[in-house]
Amino acid sequence: MNRSQTHRSRRRILKALHLLGLFLIMALICIPGLWIVLNSFRPTVEILAKPPVWTPTFTLEHYRAMFGGAGEGGVPVFHYFSNSLIVSVASTVIAIFIGMGGGYAFARYRFRFKNGYFVGLMLFRAVPGVALSLPLFIVFAQVGLIDTHIGLILVYVAMNVPFTIWLTDGFFRQIPKEFHEAAEIDGCTRWQAFWKVEFPVARSGVASAAIFAFLTSWNEFALASQLTRSVGSKTMPVGLLDFTAEFTINWGGMCALAVLMIIPALVLTFIVQKHLIAGLTFGGVKG
Amino acid sequence: MQKSKLISAVAAVCAIGVAVPAAVASNWGSFPGVTIEAKLIGGQQYEGLYGRIAEWEAATGASVEIISKKSHFEIDKEIKSDMAAGTTGWCVGSNHSSFAPQYEGLYVDLNDFVPAETVAEFVQGNISASTINGELLMLPRAQFDVSVLYYLKSNYEDSEKAAAFKAEYGYDLAVPDTWEQVKDQAIFFADPPNFYGTQYAGKDEAIVGRFYELVVAEGGNYLDEDKRPIFNSEAGERALQWFVDLYEAQAVPAGTLSYVWDDLGQGFASGTVALNLDWPGWAGFFNDPESSKAAGNVGVTIQPMGSVTRTGWSGHHGFSVTNDCEHKAAAASLVMFLTGEESQTAESAGGSLPTRSSVWDANIAAAQSGDDSFRAEALAAFAAGAEYAFAVPPIPEWGESTNIVFPELQAAILGDKTVKEALDDAAAGVDELMRESGYY
Amino acid sequence: MAKHLRVFRHTPEHRKKGTMRRRLPEWFVLLLPAFIIMAAVVLIPLVFSLYSSFTPYKLTRPSTLWRWIGTSNYEKILTDVKFWSAFGRTILFLTIALNLELLFGLLIALMVNKVTLGQRTIRTILMFPMMFSPILVGFQFKFIFNDNIGLANNALQALGISDAALPWLVDGKLAMFSIIFAEVWMSTSVFAVLILAGLFAIPRDPLEAAKVDGCTAWQTFRHITLPFLMPFIFIALTIRSLDVARAYDIVQIMTGGGPAGRTELIWTLMSRTGYVDARMGLANAMGYVSILLSIAFTIYFFKKLSAARSELGFGDKI
Repeated sequence: MNRSQTHRSRRRILKALHLLGLFLIMALICIPGLWIVLNSFRPTVEILAKPPVWTPTFTLEHYRAMFGGAGEGGVPVFHYFSNSLIVSVASTVIAIFIGMGGGYAFARYRFRFKNGYFVGLMLFRAVPGVALSLPLFIVFAQVGLIDTHIGLILVYVAMNVPFTIWLTDGFFRQIPKEFHEAAEIDGCTRWQAFWKVEFPVARSGVASAAIFAFLTSWNEFALASQLTRSVGSKTMPVGLLDFTAEFTINWGGMCALAVLMIIPALVLTFIVQKHLIAGLTFGGVKG
Repeated sequence: MQKSKLISAVAAVCAIGVAVPAAVASNWGSFPGVTIEAKLIGGQQYEGLYGRIAEWEAATGASVEIISKKSHFEIDKEIKSDMAAGTTGWCVGSNHSSFAPQYEGLYVDLNDFVPAETVAEFVQGNISASTINGELLMLPRAQFDVSVLYYLKSNYEDSEKAAAFKAEYGYDLAVPDTWEQVKDQAIFFADPPNFYGTQYAGKDEAIVGRFYELVVAEGGNYLDEDKRPIFNSEAGERALQWFVDLYEAQAVPAGTLSYVWDDLGQGFASGTVALNLDWPGWAGFFNDPESSKAAGNVGVTIQPMGSVTRTGWSGHHGFSVTNDCEHKAAAASLVMFLTGEESQTAESAGGSLPTRSSVWDANIAAAQSGDDSFRAEALAAFAAGAEYAFAVPPIPEWGESTNIVFPELQAAILGDKTVKEALDDAAAGVDELMRESGYY
Repeated sequence: MAKHLRVFRHTPEHRKKGTMRRRLPEWFVLLLPAFIIMAAVVLIPLVFSLYSSFTPYKLTRPSTLWRWIGTSNYEKILTDVKFWSAFGRTILFLTIALNLELLFGLLIALMVNKVTLGQRTIRTILMFPMMFSPILVGFQFKFIFNDNIGLANNALQALGISDAALPWLVDGKLAMFSIIFAEVWMSTSVFAVLILAGLFAIPRDPLEAAKVDGCTAWQTFRHITLPFLMPFIFIALTIRSLDVARAYDIVQIMTGGGPAGRTELIWTLMSRTGYVDARMGLANAMGYVSILLSIAFTIYFFKKLSAARSELGFGDKI
C-alpha cells in the first residue's frame, strides 16, 4: 500500500519533471524566434532599449513602412515573396522528380560502382556554398543565367537532389518487387505500375524530402546573394539586407520581413507534419 | 492601327524633346530610345534619390533599368564578381571613395564627359577624393560622410558632476575639445554595465579608419609617399594607446570590439553612452523620439583634436560610368542629374551631407533661419568638421591592408599583445602586401 | 519457331534498338538528370576553382587568371599560422556543435515522444528554428548577445543573476560559446526530428519483453532503444555534415571571425580573402581545404552509418 503510494508519487514527480523539461526546451527554442516576431511589432525605440522595456507597446509601423514607398522604408515585398515562392516551389518539384528517378534507380537496379555513384552524389552536396559561389557565378555569367529564376532554380535542384535520392531510395527498397510485377502482369506498363503501386507507398518519403528541399531553398542565402541582383530575382533572405545601409540597420523592419518569411514555411510544415515523421522513418533506416 | 501607334509614339518623343528644354533650366540632353542599365546601392538612406530618375527619363527620352540594388558591401562584392566574369556591359554604377581605387579599369574618366564648370561646382576635397591617377572616376552624390561628436547634453548640466570632475581632473567639465579630454570624461562618466563613457567601432575597416584618424591627429600617418606603412610610429602608439586605455578602464562597452556602425548607433540611441563619434546618417535617428531614447538630449559638436590637429576620416558615395557602356554620354547625363543641384538638395533634405558647395551653403542658411535648432547645430558641426576631412589612400590595397591591421589592433586592445608589438606586426604584414603589390 | 525468332531479332531495326538499350541502361537514364545537374552546378565550377587555385587570380584583375604559379597558393596557406588556427578552430567548432546538437536532439526527441496530446503542434514548434534563414539567425543572435543592449544581458541583469555586462561576442570563450549557441539553436531541430522518426519506428515487442524481464528504464534505453536509434543518429550527423558550412552566414554576421581572430573559421577567412581582398586564387585554395574537410566529415559519418545499419541487419549498401 505504502509502497505503491510512493511509487505513484514518484511517477507523478517524474511526469512533472518531464513536462517542466519539455516546457523549458520549447521555451529555449521559441524565445529567440518569438523575439523576432515581437520586435516586428515594437517601435524601434523599445527594441534595443536600456534599461530594457519589458512591457511592449504594439505598433504596425514596421509593416506599414515595409509596404510603403521606396525611400520611406518600403521594400518590394511582393516581388521578393513571389521570387522566393517561384524558385522554392519549382526547384522542389524538379528536385523531387529527378531525385525520385535516381532513388528508384538505386533501389531497383544492380549496376557496377553503385556505391561509388551514391557517395559521389552526396559529396557534391558537401561543397560549401561559400566556396562555390564565385566559380558558379562566373560559369553562370558566361551562359546568361545570372539574375534569372532559372539559374537559382538549377542551383537549388542540385542542392536538393542528393538528399531526395537518399530518402526515396530507402522507400522504394522496402516495397517488395512482387508489387509491380503483379501490376505488370495485370497489364500495366512499368510506368503505370510505378505510379499506381510504388509511388503511393513512397508518398510520405517524398513529402518529407519535399519539405526539407523547400526549407533549404526558401532560406538559402550564400548563393542567392551572389546569383541574384535586381528585384526581378532577389529572394527574401537576400531582401533582408535591404534594411541595412552603410552605417545603419533597421532591425524592426528586418524582423517584419522575417515574419513574412517564416509564416509560409511554418504553415507548410504543419500541414505535412504527419507525413514528415513517417517519411524519415523508412527513408533513412532501410536505405 | 499600327501606323497610329507609331505616330503617337513619335509624337510623344517629339513632345518630350520640345517641351523639356523650355520647361527645365538644366538641359540633360536628348537620348530617345536609349536604355541605361544601372547598379545602385540599396537601403533606405539611399533610395529616396532614385525616385527622381523618372524626371530624367522624361527629360531625355531615355529609360533607366535598375539591374541591381544591393547594400553597401554586397554591391562591392557584385561589382568585383562582374569584373571577374567580364559582365561589365551595364552603364552606371554606385561607387564609394573607399572602393573606387579597387575597380581598376572599370570606369571611365568623367573629365571627358562632364564639363569642367560642372566639376568645379562640387566641393573640391570630394572631387580630389574621387580622382585616382588623374582620372575622375565618380561624381559625388549628396552622401558625404565625416564624423563629429555626438554627446548627451544632460551630463554637462549637472553641477555636482562638474564639481566632482574638476576635483579629480583639475579642469572644468565642458564638451570635450581634445581626445585626451574625451578619454578623461569617458572614464569619469562610465558606470558599467549601466552607462558608458564612449564607444568605438571594433572590427573590420571601421576600427582601422578610426585608428587612422587618431594617428593623423597625433601627427603621424598610415602610409608614407611610397606606400610604406608608417603607422607603427610614436604617433601610432599614442593613438592605439587611447583605445587600449579606454578599454582597460571599462569606459567603453566590453563588446565594443564586436561593434560596427549599426551597433554603435543603436547604443547611443539607447541613451547609455555619453560621447559618441559618429556619422551624419544618424543625426535624425538620434534626435527622433520614435527611434531614440536620447532624443532631445543630444548635442553635436566638431570632432575633438589630437595633440597635433583635428582630422576626419571621410568617404562619400557617388556614381560612375563603365568603360563598356554603349551610351556613355547618356550615362554621364544620368550621373550628372543624380549629383546635380536639385538632386543634392532633395537628397540632403533627408539629413545626409551634400558634396556641392552651393547646396552646403543653402542648407546651412535654411537651417539657421528654420526652427529646427538641432538640425542647425548638427549641420554647423558637420560643416566645421568637413574642413578637416581626409580620404583613405587611393590605392586598391586599402581594404586588404585593413584586414591585416584590424586583428592586430584588437589584439592590443584585448591585451594579447603590447601596443608596440601589435603595430609592428601589423606594419610587417602591410609591408609585405605593399611589396607584393609592387610599390617598392 | 525458334528459327523464325532468330530471323526476327536480326532485322536491323531491332538490332539498333538492342544496342541503344545496351548503351543506355534504364538505371543510367533514370540517374542521368541527376548527374547532369550536379555536373553543371557543382562539377564545372569546381574544376574552374581548382584551376584558379594555381593562379594569383585577383577578381579585379581578370588577366591574372592566366598566370600559372603552381602550388604557391597552397604553400602559402599551409605555412600560414592564421590559416591553421582557423582550420583547427573549425574542427573544434564542428565537433562541439555536432555533439551538442546530437545530445540535445536526442533529449528533445525522447521527451516529445512521450507526449500524447497535441504532438503535431509540438513537432511543428520543434522545427521552428528550421524556418529561419541562417543570415537571419546571425542578426538575431548578434543583437541578443549584444553586451550593452542585448536580450541576454538584459535578462541576466533583470533576473539578478549577474549585474556585469558580459561581453558575449568579445571574450574568447564566450564568443565561441555564442556562435556555437546560435549554431546549435538553428540545427538541433534536424536531429530531434530525425531521431523522433527513429523512435516512432522502434518495434514494440523488444520493449515489452524488456519490461517483463524487469529491466530498468536506463537498461532498456541503453540496450534496446539506443542501438536501434544509431542509424538515425548517423543519418542526422551525415545530413548535417553535408551543410555544416551553413554556419558561415551566422558567424560572419555575429563576429566576422573576430575579435583578434578568436572566432575565425576557415569559411570566414576564405570569404574575406576572396571577396574583400579580391584574392580569389588564394581563397579557392582555402576553399579546397574546406571542401576536403566537409568530405572527410561526411565520409566518416557514412561509414558509421553503414556499420550501424549492418549491425541491425538492414540493407547491403554503404
